[in-house]
Amino acid sequence: MKAEKDQKKKINKTTFATALAKGDIWVKLSTVIMGAGYFARKQIVNGILMTAVEIGFILLVVLFGVPSLSKFGTLGDVQMELKFDPLTLQSTINDYDNSFMILLTSVITLFFIFVFIMLWIWNIKLVYRLQLKKQNGEHINTFREDLRALVNDRFHITLLALPTVGVVLMNIIPILVLIAVAFTNYDQKHMPPNSLFTWVGFDNFKNLFTSSMTISFGYAFRKILGWTLLWAVLATVTTFIGGILLAKLINSATTKWPAFWRTLFVIAIAVPQFVTLLLVRNFFSDSGIVNTICANIGLTQVLRGIGLVRVNYIPFLTDPNWAKVMIILINIWVGVPYQMLIATGVLMNIPTDQIESARLDGANKFQIFCKITMPYVLFVQGPALITDFVKNINNFNVIYLLTQDVFITSDQQLAASNAKEVDLLVTWLFRLTNEYYNYKMASVIGIIVFIICAIFTLLSFSRMIAGGREEEYR
Amino acid sequence: MRKKLLSLVLAGTMVAGLLAGCGNKSNNPSQSSQPGSTPGVSSQSPEVSNDDIIANLIANTNGTVKLTVWASEEDQDFTLGRIEDFKAQYPDVDFDIMLGAESESKAKDDILVDVEAGPDVYAFADDQILELVDAGALHEVAATYTFDVKSANAAGSIEAATIDGKLYAYPMTADNGYFMFYDSSVFTEADVQSMDAMIEAAKKAGRKIAMNVSDGWYIYSLFKGAGYDLTLNDDGTNGCTWNAAGGTDVAQAILDLFETGVFVDMTDQDQATAITEGTICACVNGTWRAETAQTAWGENYAAAKLPTFTVAGQQKQMSSFSGYKLIGVNPHSDFLGWSMILAEYLTNEETQVARYEARGLGPANLAAAASDAVQNDPAISALAAQAAYATPQRVGNQYWTSAQTLGQILASGNPDGTDLQTLLDNTVSGITAPVQ
Repeated sequence: MKAEKDQKKKINKTTFATALAKGDIWVKLSTVIMGAGYFARKQIVNGILMTAVEIGFILLVVLFGVPSLSKFGTLGDVQMELKFDPLTLQSTINDYDNSFMILLTSVITLFFIFVFIMLWIWNIKLVYRLQLKKQNGEHINTFREDLRALVNDRFHITLLALPTVGVVLMNIIPILVLIAVAFTNYDQKHMPPNSLFTWVGFDNFKNLFTSSMTISFGYAFRKILGWTLLWAVLATVTTFIGGILLAKLINSATTKWPAFWRTLFVIAIAVPQFVTLLLVRNFFSDSGIVNTICANIGLTQVLRGIGLVRVNYIPFLTDPNWAKVMIILINIWVGVPYQMLIATGVLMNIPTDQIESARLDGANKFQIFCKITMPYVLFVQGPALITDFVKNINNFNVIYLLTQDVFITSDQQLAASNAKEVDLLVTWLFRLTNEYYNYKMASVIGIIVFIICAIFTLLSFSRMIAGGREEEYR
Repeated sequence: MRKKLLSLVLAGTMVAGLLAGCGNKSNNPSQSSQPGSTPGVSSQSPEVSNDDIIANLIANTNGTVKLTVWASEEDQDFTLGRIEDFKAQYPDVDFDIMLGAESESKAKDDILVDVEAGPDVYAFADDQILELVDAGALHEVAATYTFDVKSANAAGSIEAATIDGKLYAYPMTADNGYFMFYDSSVFTEADVQSMDAMIEAAKKAGRKIAMNVSDGWYIYSLFKGAGYDLTLNDDGTNGCTWNAAGGTDVAQAILDLFETGVFVDMTDQDQATAITEGTICACVNGTWRAETAQTAWGENYAAAKLPTFTVAGQQKQMSSFSGYKLIGVNPHSDFLGWSMILAEYLTNEETQVARYEARGLGPANLAAAASDAVQNDPAISALAAQAAYATPQRVGNQYWTSAQTLGQILASGNPDGTDLQTLLDNTVSGITAPVQ
């Protein structure tokens, strides 16, 4: 029995090299005709399927992949030309190149070739295993048995198939295309199908880190990155602490009708965020209701007196410093209810024995909060906090909805790069694509955002979830 | 390893399907964009009459002509009616015309995403024409069939629809520029000739005059009026002379206007509120605000061309961007011929007259604009008077943010006290920066 298991392990461990070296003629033939190995072991259907996949792949690459891949180096060189015949009211279009389609098809083809090579290697190993099984006189599955295995002991493969396809189509391919675009000059002047774009190497990356008279991307990038990180830290910390305090307050024994209060705050979540944010933007506009109230009660005058305001209204969302403070305050108001719900759940699960014994030892409420509640909450919510932080780096809604069409930068260097003081990297990226069709710079910024998020996530997860933390807390 | 690979195989098969789909799509447009052969016009003589060409087009149209038309939300009912009339004109052709709603000011944003999948015929504001032509989203109006577009419409509208000497669109309305709205209980007709007189009168009335100077579209009016140019180069960058000698005088003039406290910087939306509340008695804005002003000021509602303003002691006439709404035809249309004929129909004299009657939009068509009703419309006649000082909007994308920031700094009184020449130098280097 044990020998058999070892044998199986050995088979599963076969490497590609040994499979190729030790395989018989059928295994070697499988390098050309992928189904050969199956035919030899009488797995006819498997053999036909595998060969069909191979033929299908070759056909696709030859018919669709090669035309694109052959132009991949230049991304096409035939400009679109229209010829209109005024007599027949028809126009003929030449056989032009569409750089974006070439790029997309090439990336998909390359990805597909990569997948095929993996499949090919795996296939050689598989047919070698079949050969070993046959030599050992083991049972070789029929096609029907293989199919049945997919809904029984290998059901996870069936289950995972669809999500994997989804991830490939929705994530991997677009990300690969995005990365490729960062190395091209795809922008408003080079928009397919009418014009071509081509590779420019690392020029866009150089631009992002250059500050000169004509290129101010470097300056804008530094400023925006700084504010993005500051914002992410402040937004995460303030809503987190606010949520805990609010949850403590509502759960406190002295608070009457806790369910009522909780519902009240949850209603704030129920209203779509963009509606609240757009309303708030109007409330705080330069001639909005809040400004009218402040002027009427004399607050504007007081602020003017101490030099916080230089105009005859409070520039809540139009002065860079005021706007930054307001954005964080409004975000607290929008974000705290979520954190409160989470914190309520966590607080309810704090082991009461610890609090009891602390109380018996004479600790006051503040000490209990600092020494028991907070560490516990931090421990449980640590990973969620990191996710929040990364989410805040990309918190498009709050910043964009509060400042779009309202905030005008007075920093001429930022203006030259179409950036604003209150922009996050992601809102800057959005405006570059949506208003200026600067896809190449947007791709570069997209890659940078991705790298930043990845670094923070990896660093903090490895530190927070590193083994032994739980014991440490106990 | 094994399960991973199997799922990858499955993924690969799906990708193959996608690949096939893409391949087809990119191949399609390379063929002739209109189905059906054209045996009729074998003699390519230029003397063939337009009627013959249309008759020939009808004869060669087999099956349903499927067109997608985009018009603004407010224009839906009107356009639907005109499309029905159009169908009735060609009873022998089976039309299937879909009408989509898209604001003229945003048409570009949605069409540029995928030109080939865009609408066949669409309305857009003339400020987007450069980008649309660049993206190949406009079919050149190389020939007209039902009326002569160039001579029928106002010269300004044809200029706005022409790039490099080629006409790219059919003028639809001449109502998209800006001018001065005012409350005639505050200003006389003589007052509105100069900004200085207006400011005096408004000061007496204790009200304000609004103009959205912190917006590139409006601040152009002041610099261009004083004789400083903004031009577009072939490579899409801008040329700008605002920082040339004397440019600081214009900046100072703008600072002086705001210094009075009467002249204020307000967005269009804020102006609407301020008009209703009565805080402002005049504003630089466009026909889209006519209704608000008319409701608020009633009989005193009036409009005029922009006034002059004082630059270094001299009176300068404020300029403006001319504004037209145009109809364009997508060169990727499957039924290019019919798209062109429909575009002509939607912009001919009859339609423009009907559009003014139904919606009050100023016609670009000369005959339609000559009617008494149009001549007596304050907003439209003010716009017509301003047309003499207006230039078509030929500006590269790098202009907007830098100009906006300059306006913002000047409107808030140059709070950092930056040297005006430095301020203009920075602005110009931003405006003229290469497209990165």
